[in-house]
Amino acid sequence: MSRESFRRDLNRAFEAMSGPPSPALSARVRSALGERAPARPGPFWIAGLAAALIAAIVIGVFVVSNFNRHLTSGVPGTLPSASPTATPTTVQKTPEYLPAFVCGSSAPINSQNAPTVAYVDSVRTGTHTGYDRITIEFQNGQPGSVELRPQSSSTFTNSPRGDTVTLAGSAGLLVVIHSADEHTAYSGATDFNTNYPVLLEARQMEDFEGTVQWGLGLSKSACYRAFFLANPTRLVIDIQVR
Amino acid sequence: MMTAVMEERPSAMARAAAGDADGFALLIEPLLDPAYRLAAVMLSDRTAAEDAVQEASIKAWRKLHQLRGDESSLRPWFLSIVANECRMARRRHWWSVLKMADVQLPAGADPTTEVESDLHRALRRLSPEERLPLVLHFYLDLPLDEVARTLGLSPSAAKSRIYRAARRLRSDLTPEEVF
Repeated sequence: MSRESFRRDLNRAFEAMSGPPSPALSARVRSALGERAPARPGPFWIAGLAAALIAAIVIGVFVVSNFNRHLTSGVPGTLPSASPTATPTTVQKTPEYLPAFVCGSSAPINSQNAPTVAYVDSVRTGTHTGYDRITIEFQNGQPGSVELRPQSSSTFTNSPRGDTVTLAGSAGLLVVIHSADEHTAYSGATDFNTNYPVLLEARQMEDFEGTVQWGLGLSKSACYRAFFLANPTRLVIDIQVR
Repeated sequence: MMTAVMEERPSAMARAAAGDADGFALLIEPLLDPAYRLAAVMLSDRTAAEDAVQEASIKAWRKLHQLRGDESSLRPWFLSIVANECRMARRRHWWSVLKMADVQLPAGADPTTEVESDLHRALRRLSPEERLPLVLHFYLDLPLDEVARTLGLSPSAAKSRIYRAARRLRSDLTPEEVF
């Protein structure tokens, strides 16, 4: 057997094993890089660290002193509004304050100016200090409503087939998005084996007739928070790591 | 054309070193394809391979200040991070050790060809660590010195690793048929 034929046969076998990457890989990596900026090491890192600590203390004092004045609700999805009597704002350009984690069931996040169908165009996951995160990005605006349903097992019902699927972990969180579509603008992964401290797996459970559901497999029952961010519009769900 | 590329890359490197995510993305964009192929072969799972590449990209960015050498160091350095991420993924999913690659013949291939079937079977029997030098050298077409840098070995040790793995596929292979 010649060197060329050995190499050719081997390449064929490898090609059959891997195939090409999905077209969304590049965008997915770019997005993940944008979400998880590295710490900047450098010769002045001690000074930088000290400055960051001082800034954190100052910001912390500021946040605590303003917490009661600004934060009107700990319900996921309702980023604090300036006025306690105003309708909770669910989309903000920059989150000044994140909502508190909640540990049981929560009220749905509703949108008043939702498009008929909000098209999902990206889903990504990440782990951060204190929480694991899944982000669902929409192409054309916020969906009609979002419900989060915590559960004591990681078994979910696949819809519309009706079969049950057990994800990694011993607890779960079901994310139900109404007036949404995940097959028109999204062709990425529908099952993320993340193995983060709490979020072990995220899997699409439904994308049918305007309802999108994601099942989150958790290592244990955990508190969570959910809110929307703008530009681009995205639903952010944080699972608290304790 | 080459001049343009040469001018663009240091610029991306400088931007990435300055903490610019887009600069770093530009830098590793051409490496994502080989990184994915490496991960897919090591993990025998395409979805897990993409996850591993994503995690490796983030780690690479965080460790960018540790990159030593010139532009040619980037590819083996990044691929070594991908390989490490695959090892970690396999440790996390210990059950995947039992998972076999879903090998499909490429379009147009004759499934009755005994030689090809033997090779596929032999490849599936190799451990991921044994597949790694073969993927780097034959599939990704890396020269020996880059294979060595990716594996953290001397060139002669890398050559020996490739030959040993190739012999596990075909016991009668001579070095001349491999290199």
